Amino acid sequence: MRILLVDDEAEFVSTLAERLTMRGYQADYSITAGNALDLAAKHLYDVAVLDMKMPGTSGLELQARLAEKHPAMRFIFLTGHGSEDDYSAGSRQAAHYLVKPVDINTLIAKINQTVFANDR
Amino acid sequence: MTDNLSPAPSVPSETGLRYVARVTASMSHEMKNVLAIINENCGLLEDLSFAAKKGAPIEPDRLDRTCRQMAKQIERADAILKTMSRYAHSFDHPEEPVDLHDLCQLVATLAGRLAAMRRITLTVEKAEAPCMVHKHPFALQALLWQCLELAIGTASEGCTLTLRPQAAAVTIAGFDQVDNIHGRTTPLPITVAGEGPGPQLTLHLA
Repeated sequence: MRILLVDDEAEFVSTLAERLTMRGYQADYSITAGNALDLAAKHLYDVAVLDMKMPGTSGLELQARLAEKHPAMRFIFLTGHGSEDDYSAGSRQAAHYLVKPVDINTLIAKINQTVFANDR
Repeated sequence: MTDNLSPAPSVPSETGLRYVARVTASMSHEMKNVLAIINENCGLLEDLSFAAKKGAPIEPDRLDRTCRQMAKQIERADAILKTMSRYAHSFDHPEEPVDLHDLCQLVATLAGRLAAMRRITLTVEKAEAPCMVHKHPFALQALLWQCLELAIGTASEGCTLTLRPQAAAVTIAGFDQVDNIHGRTTPLPITVAGEGPGPQLTLHLA
């Protein structure tokens, strides 16, 4: 399974990618929306885990652009922002909406649910 | 019995409440990010320990890097909490001498994430002489926050906004578009001036 992680907190997203890789997932990461779009153009990702609030392009905007170009890609929002508005918007556009900090086993369970639901 | 409560500051309650809500949301978001990084690094140490128990070699450099990252986030959290403490205690006293440079520094720090979301840089100019006013510090913060929020929401993405403390005013400069400011109605003592290298938004405190 190939996973794209996008978050402007470089130390968070790089460490999460390393931990997912240790568990046998192919995890790439980006700290900008532009670089995430470039990575998605080069590789086929099963699921993208996106931060809701990023400088410039928001997670919601990035999700819309990725979904348009890669209709099979599934999405999970992972955010430090816990507002009701963001929860509603994020839940509409992604399979799951998780609030940081999140246990890696919970994230992996949600990733698997998302991809398996896609396969059915 | 002595009443230690400060008199209500001269700031509209909605402005003050909005300031508290926005700052709290922004700072709690920052703290969530700090916790998330510490959580991942702590998890990585557990992963490396688990792998070592299974016979995988331990890389001391990797452990050092992880510990340094956690220490850096603890410093970041400490800085966030110091700023929050200063902001929270600004309500402790009624009117008192307020250094406008310090006020600008504090509000610019509190608004840092809000600005970063629009790729806007905030700078505070040092005045040639100290600019002191005798006001309620919390009320001044709330008013300056509202000006800065207006400026951040209106300025072009990627620009630098400069907070310039003056004798009895704070000017925010750096706009290259201000059309929406002219269209806004506000009860605050704010003017938008066109002099200088570009339009400026000025909060008059006198």
